[in-house]
Amino acid sequence: MLTFDRYEMPATLPEALALWADAPEGARLVAGATDILPWAREGRAGDVDLPLGIDLSRVAELQGHERHGSRVRLGANTVWQDFLDDAQLARWLPVMPHCAVWFADDQIRQQATLAGNLVNASPAADGTPPVLALNGELELCRWAGDHILCRTMRVEDFVTGPGATRLAPGELVNSVTLDCADGYGASFQKVGQRRSLVISVACVAALVKLDETGTRFADVRLALGGVGPVPERLRDIEDRLKGEPVDTRLIEDAAAATAARVASRSRVDYRRRVVPGFVCAALEEAAERARVAQRKEALHA
Amino acid sequence: MPEMTLDMRVNGRKVTRRADPGQRLLDFLRDELNLTGTKEGCGAGECGTCSVFVDGKLVKSCLMPAAKAQGADIQTVEGLARPGELDVLQKAFHKTGASQCGYCIPGMVMAATSLLREAPEASLDEIKERMGGNICRCTGYTKIIEAVALARDVVTGRASPAVLEPEGVGESYIGHNVRRLDAPSKVTGRLKYAGDMVMPGMLHMAVLRSPHAHAEIVSIDTSEAEAVEGVACVITSADVPGKDGFGVFVHDQPVMARGKVRHVGEAVAAVAAEDVATARRALAKIRVEYRELPGLFDPEDALRPGAPVIHDYAPDNVVKHIPIRKGDVDKGFAEADLILEDEFSTQQVEHAYLEPEAGLAYVDADDVVTVISPSQNITHHRHMLSEIIARPINKVRFIMSPVGGGFGGKEDMIYQGMLALAAMKTDRPVRLVFTREESIIASAKRHPSRVKYRMGLTKDGRITAIRFEMLSDGGAYGMSSEGVMRKAAILSCGPYEIENLQVDTTAVYTNNTPSGAFRTFGGMQAQFATESMMDIAAERLGLDPFEIRRRNMMRAGSLTHTQQRLTSASIDRVLEAAEQASRWEPGAPTMRGPMRGDLGGPGTRAPCTLGARFETPKDSKERVA
Ligand SMILES: Cc1cc2nc3c(=O)[nH]c(=O)nc-3n(C[C@H](O)[C@H](O)[C@H](O)COP(=O)(O)OP(=O)(O)OC[C@H]3O[C@@H](n4cnc5c(N)ncnc54)[C@H](O)[C@@H]3O)c2cc1C
Repeated sequence: MLTFDRYEMPATLPEALALWADAPEGARLVAGATDILPWAREGRAGDVDLPLGIDLSRVAELQGHERHGSRVRLGANTVWQDFLDDAQLARWLPVMPHCAVWFADDQIRQQATLAGNLVNASPAADGTPPVLALNGELELCRWAGDHILCRTMRVEDFVTGPGATRLAPGELVNSVTLDCADGYGASFQKVGQRRSLVISVACVAALVKLDETGTRFADVRLALGGVGPVPERLRDIEDRLKGEPVDTRLIEDAAAATAARVASRSRVDYRRRVVPGFVCAALEEAAERARVAQRKEALHA
Repeated sequence: MPEMTLDMRVNGRKVTRRADPGQRLLDFLRDELNLTGTKEGCGAGECGTCSVFVDGKLVKSCLMPAAKAQGADIQTVEGLARPGELDVLQKAFHKTGASQCGYCIPGMVMAATSLLREAPEASLDEIKERMGGNICRCTGYTKIIEAVALARDVVTGRASPAVLEPEGVGESYIGHNVRRLDAPSKVTGRLKYAGDMVMPGMLHMAVLRSPHAHAEIVSIDTSEAEAVEGVACVITSADVPGKDGFGVFVHDQPVMARGKVRHVGEAVAAVAAEDVATARRALAKIRVEYRELPGLFDPEDALRPGAPVIHDYAPDNVVKHIPIRKGDVDKGFAEADLILEDEFSTQQVEHAYLEPEAGLAYVDADDVVTVISPSQNITHHRHMLSEIIARPINKVRFIMSPVGGGFGGKEDMIYQGMLALAAMKTDRPVRLVFTREESIIASAKRHPSRVKYRMGLTKDGRITAIRFEMLSDGGAYGMSSEGVMRKAAILSCGPYEIENLQVDTTAVYTNNTPSGAFRTFGGMQAQFATESMMDIAAERLGLDPFEIRRRNMMRAGSLTHTQQRLTSASIDRVLEAAEQASRWEPGAPTMRGPMRGDLGGPGTRAPCTLGARFETPKDSKERVA
């Protein structure tokens, strides 16, 4: 059971940051609350009484998203369902709808934020692999007495271990910025105990851009989650494939090497069998979707 | 507790309350507004019984602090149709018989409503995908999905609203959608389960549970907890005035641990207070000193000489041994051409009914101690409680509230005694609602069991003898173990006529969570072993699995394992129906492997995947990805 001595709903970023700067020990930021509320239950943190909850969901500056050149900036309040409901976001970030459809369920996605998922830093977080694949960066802001101070950090550097990040005291995530991947084909593979409402035992995010002939990999992005303390980007495999023809044997070969990346504490054998298959399937599917996207574009041109 | 003025529109009406902004929207709706159609099944976003619309978006209200709904338009299940009426989806749920225990149904109706608003043309796969956040334990989902598809067809004009009308039943009810009398109360959320009931002056209970599997209770000090403001009473086994003990067969379980604890999660003390938060805070102030004892966690260990004794009355740790003998097994095995031996084990299983245990007790004006709860065995509970509280039977009353799923798990009187004692001690109504975690830790489970099997067969597949030895983990208390062992023994060798058999089923005490009644009551564990043996035998003898079963099946005139003469038997028809429905390709299991032709035909479930919503259906607007 989670109780708060004080619960604040700031409407602006300066208000939120000022509250956070002066917050008593133990205070928490609350976004969608889909991690915080289940955390305060028997078997986990148990009954928790927090001195202060700062609810970010009404902070105007954290809403919405926009494109700046080749990057897409998502306000920290962007929720998972946005990737399924907003056609423009889906086009810019083609891997996100495929990840979102496997994320929790339709209802939790209305609440759960991408930023909360990254800060929560679960090794099994579904959000981190696609964000790594899209060269995600966080804008971290804090209150410096009379003005806001911000810095940016790559998500790859931000998540340091299970539940551990480089978020400094008084800081909050203001936005998540990602590569715009318009024209890429994408895939997200996930396995857990069931379909909906399930934590990944393993997941893979892939993005593929084809060359103009539609037969070679122009760009490949690949990231792995659920199989080690932190999700990781598979740059060596990306490099191996870039410029090469899209070929089943080559993909299988490259994927076989990924079994060695499994560094989890449990179900190692199972994960070692699943991961190469997932990498293969993800690359094939992403390549196929890239082909379809290319054909559509040609049709429109 | 902080307070804030919360303004919302709830089901079209303006609502203003001074309330705790950090409480969950679920609590605000249920406790402040008494909208109990929104249920709590897990409190962790996993089950969907609490789904409500906030500004048109369906959310799980157990995961939303109430302050987030400030100024919002809320719609709960009570707001879907006018009182006395049903909307299209509710009618469809009624029509297809989609509601059974009903506890998941308001949430299901809400999820389906959201689905038809967002994707009125959804395919069956998309329906399943979009309903994925709501779970049900009774139906297997088929009738729920059928109801949603039916409503979809009506909403999109593909079917006439007349399909929602009741079907004529004609000669027989079988094969027709017969309307359940209680469905309207369930699809509208009107039905009150025990946890939905309130009485003026009602107290709330929380239970202190053992962290140890086996430990002596050296002392319990409740004084600090009793001193907490808002606490009305603290009870322990010292408050039991009569003969303390309940159970379905042996009354070996005290209302709260007496002298020692026998499993993790056993109730040790309970607090009744003005609200749940106070009761839970007070629990932390109860001081219990334990002296840990060696524990038993494996049923085989329980039978070893010198094993720790869990109940003084049973120094051998045996709850019950059921032997069955028929014919002469030695002779039978001697006649066999093939003797097979194997071992089979099954695991503990939780019922996971969507309604966690809940109850409300009060002492009425005539001193009748009354307990309302979803008990699956109220008459027996009433008799046991009368002894426990030392009151004549006419001063004890049990009222059975709607059972939000039981499956056997609500046969044991694991909390009703505590409620009665607290109501007697305070002279106020007291309610207890288990959390999901508490329900899992404290309620009985399906017996984990091991079967040692020996089967003798002739070359042509006739069984000549069976020796069947089952050892089950009864856990810390007897509960239904005796009955489960009887049933397991009676059903042990399946629907086959066996001339020579030797069956022993035994349940023993351990310090694991108690095992109790669970759908099939021991039958499943036994059939898993027997049917597996039949398949292994078919493989070894090169026989068709249906054929080997036919050669051994019981018929009219057969003598059962317990030597009852049958006047009829239906296994022949069951086999025939299964053979047809599966489009079975005859032959021994060894002959086919991946070449078999009866796999993957119509009716076979495709592997699970998501993303049906990405497939653009004809004549509809383009989808997102
Ligand atoms: C039933 C269920 C199913 C789930 N399924 C999945 C799943 O399939 N995949 C998956 O990855 N996760 C899943 N989750 C976990 C959870 O929903 C996600 O991690 C979610 O994205 C968390 O976001 P939130 O907005 O709800 O975070 P909150 O619970 O509000 O916050 C999480 C953490 O982040 C901090 N935080 C939030 N916002 C900020 C910010 N702007 N700046 C700094 N700190 C911040 C909070 O203080 C807190 O520590 C599931 C959860 C439930 C209950």
